[in-house]
Amino acid sequence: MTLTPQMLTVILAVVLGPILGALVSGLDRKITARVQGRWGPPIIQPFYDVLKLLRKEALGVNRIQIIYVWLHLAFMILTVVLLAMGQDMLMALFAYTFSSVALILGAMSVRSPYSRIGSHRKIMQMFAYEPVLILLIVGVYLITGSFQASSVAQQPLLVKLPLVFLTFLMAAAIKLEKSPFDIATSHHAHQELVKGITIEYAGPYLALIEITHFYEIFIVFAVVASFWATSPAIGLGLAAAGFLALIVVDNVFARLTPMWMLRYMWTVPLTLALSNIIWLYCA
Amino acid sequence: MQDYDKLLFAALILGPILFGALALISPSRGLRNAIVIIAAILTAGAGAFLITRTPLQFFMEPWTAHLATGLEFLIVLIVLGLAINIRSWLIAAMALIQLGLAASELLLPGQGGGTESAAPQFVVDNLALILVLVVSIVGSIICVYAIGYMKHHEQHAPPTAAGSGRFFFFLVGFLGAMNGLVMANDLKWLAIFWEATTLCSFMLIGHDRTPEAKNNAKLALLINTFGGLAMMVAGLIAHLSGHGENLSDLTAGWAMLPMALLCLAALTKSAQLPFQSWLLGAMVAPTPVSALLHSATMVKAGSYLVLRLAPAFSGTRLAVIIAIAGAFTFAAASALAIGQSNGKKVLAYSTIANLGLIVTCAGIGTPLAYAAGLFVLCFHAASKGLLFMCIGAIEQKIGSRDIEDMGGIMFLMPVTTVITLIGMGSMLLPPLGMLMSKWLAIESAMHAPLVLFLLVVGSALTVFFWAKWIGRIQTASYHREYKAEKLPFTILATLLLLVLAVVAGGLMTMPIFNAWIIPVVRGMTVAAWTADGLAQLDLAGQLPMWPFLVFLGLGLFVGLISFARFKEKNVREPFLCGENIQGGEHSYNFRSIGDSVNTAWSASYYMGSFFAESWLTPWVNLLAWMVILMLFGTMIGKL
Repeated sequence: MTLTPQMLTVILAVVLGPILGALVSGLDRKITARVQGRWGPPIIQPFYDVLKLLRKEALGVNRIQIIYVWLHLAFMILTVVLLAMGQDMLMALFAYTFSSVALILGAMSVRSPYSRIGSHRKIMQMFAYEPVLILLIVGVYLITGSFQASSVAQQPLLVKLPLVFLTFLMAAAIKLEKSPFDIATSHHAHQELVKGITIEYAGPYLALIEITHFYEIFIVFAVVASFWATSPAIGLGLAAAGFLALIVVDNVFARLTPMWMLRYMWTVPLTLALSNIIWLYCA
Repeated sequence: MQDYDKLLFAALILGPILFGALALISPSRGLRNAIVIIAAILTAGAGAFLITRTPLQFFMEPWTAHLATGLEFLIVLIVLGLAINIRSWLIAAMALIQLGLAASELLLPGQGGGTESAAPQFVVDNLALILVLVVSIVGSIICVYAIGYMKHHEQHAPPTAAGSGRFFFFLVGFLGAMNGLVMANDLKWLAIFWEATTLCSFMLIGHDRTPEAKNNAKLALLINTFGGLAMMVAGLIAHLSGHGENLSDLTAGWAMLPMALLCLAALTKSAQLPFQSWLLGAMVAPTPVSALLHSATMVKAGSYLVLRLAPAFSGTRLAVIIAIAGAFTFAAASALAIGQSNGKKVLAYSTIANLGLIVTCAGIGTPLAYAAGLFVLCFHAASKGLLFMCIGAIEQKIGSRDIEDMGGIMFLMPVTTVITLIGMGSMLLPPLGMLMSKWLAIESAMHAPLVLFLLVVGSALTVFFWAKWIGRIQTASYHREYKAEKLPFTILATLLLLVLAVVAGGLMTMPIFNAWIIPVVRGMTVAAWTADGLAQLDLAGQLPMWPFLVFLGLGLFVGLISFARFKEKNVREPFLCGENIQGGEHSYNFRSIGDSVNTAWSASYYMGSFFAESWLTPWVNLLAWMVILMLFGTMIGKL
């Protein structure tokens, strides 16, 4: 079997994706710490965390939740594979959505009120950002005439989709559980939901959720970079700028309520994205 | 046309009606059950055999035209009689108008000089074939399921309930009427079978004869008679204008007003907004009726008719409005489903939404959209039939159809619950059929911004109510082993059969799409279709299945291994912000402030402030009526 460039991309994305995601996550913790006047953990701390979790006892509340952790991971990798293959973006979004749904369902299968409320909030998060993501795909389609992920490499999308880019960053803040949207679970110890959706996961299962999250980080910033896919340097610069902007937002805002998030996402970003889409229709 | 084609044709339409009548008069339960099973096998077999005989055209003897007229009068008179019997003067008035229409059609000569059209009375093309397959296979499975269900139901039904013989007559006969409906080309025959399905559903909804059942049956009759009236007006206009009183002439002749009226009839039958109330009321009936109405018959008649007409109105303003009507229904019904904790009502709203999706696809009318519409129709029938059957079994076990009461059924009835989970999963899991259809529908809506926006909103809302429900039914504490529950044989067998079909069909969505749906769509000749549109269809078919199968398979495989290897000593109580009180597997008590004992409990979100049915329904109905007005607004100046 010969190794085609496409297969190589897929393998690289699946192998390097989580590593990059973990590094970004470590960098995030470091920079956040410095912003807050702390020293912060080493950048490779996420690796230590995951390795330690993997070696711990596999504790759980029931057995159903375990299946869903694996589905959560499997569909996140599937999303990476579909995007790396340059396949249909809408389908990739559906696979990504199901990955989140799997996490929600796993958390709902335990009788913990914290976990249940956390998963409901996660659904509301998905409900808040999903229209924005679909509008992003609509925008790309209107520009390139194709749903294939490979089509984004044709031209810098940012020029024609500036408002959609902005709204995507807002959606990214939700996906990466950044304030003011970190309502389903949080990287910090919050009081009212404890650890929310992931509270009843421990040991290796929690490690799987962490690894899935690394993939997710990788996907988010890969999408940000693909807004200027013609030049890798500018793309990376965009990703870095987006990353820093998210850290600033995370540190400036307090977390807000789920209803506030819904109302906000369905008004400001949606209007912005829609007006961007409408001018593409008119153009 | 061969003689055995005639036999096949008779087996599909008259067969179920005949067997239904036998079930009605059969003296014992055992005999009746045997008759139902034989009818199911024969109907399903005849449906499957039809694949080899398509396409077919049936030219009937001239005297059958008089038979059709006679039947039309008869059925209108039955409706009139029923209306007087239940004291519904509105229905009676509509029946009287129908009577007048039928009489004037008889008396007034058509513009064509009264010559009989050369078109066949019944046609079996690929679209009709797909519908016949859905009706005779899924419908038959539901009829067999009803055997086990009704045995239990008879013991718990209110004393007013009608006999089971009558129930099976209308249930099995329904399949015959449906088969007739989808094969009819002549408008008169179409109207006869259309009214026949209305009558069947009226009888089945009112089966328990409680005040609620009677009321809801009346509502169903009212709304569907309104649709029937629209259909007869369409027939009369076609008769007077000489367009030819059959679907093939109508679709070739661009007769817009009859087409709009037929669409209106279709919207009522498909329970599209603002006509949804009858389908929601229909769930008072025994669950096999809901399963049948929602998946294989009745509501599918409406979506079938829109798909049938779609090639003719493709590209017109009528098509734009139809697409908006469907997409609005999709979004609004999904929103209404979020506020519901009644499981059957959630399923009902989900049905309405998915029918809206079919109507949208017909309205968009590109080859890709048309393929998506056919896809939704097939996969929705299987999944929704299965889900209703599951909810029926669950309801008979736990005595409630409220979602919040379904926690813990994973242990109580693991087989049914796992099948239910698969059924629900088939609504939102890639690469299973429903999700693939939604994907195709959204991609084909790219050039219709408003429709696209409504589809996007609706699809985001859909995830909400499914996830909530799935989460509730699989909530369970740790159990070392699950013991399969006892189910009546017919229920278990039909559940397994249908879930196998759903899984097998779901894992082969793209092969089915490429091998079956694409040739069907390509085989149609539609003036408005471009080579570009057809290329889009082929492009969609190129989506590789293997990544989905590999990762779904791997995820499930590894997940199940971890499931099996999970050790009992690793089980922990959930964190409850206090000391867990041990004792009893289902104890979620914890010690809180001042040593007080509290029980941890949390319900699902229903967001009643926005998604409450009573609040939202008037608004969405208002908007939906505006869309209906627009439907006829496009006709002004085209009369």
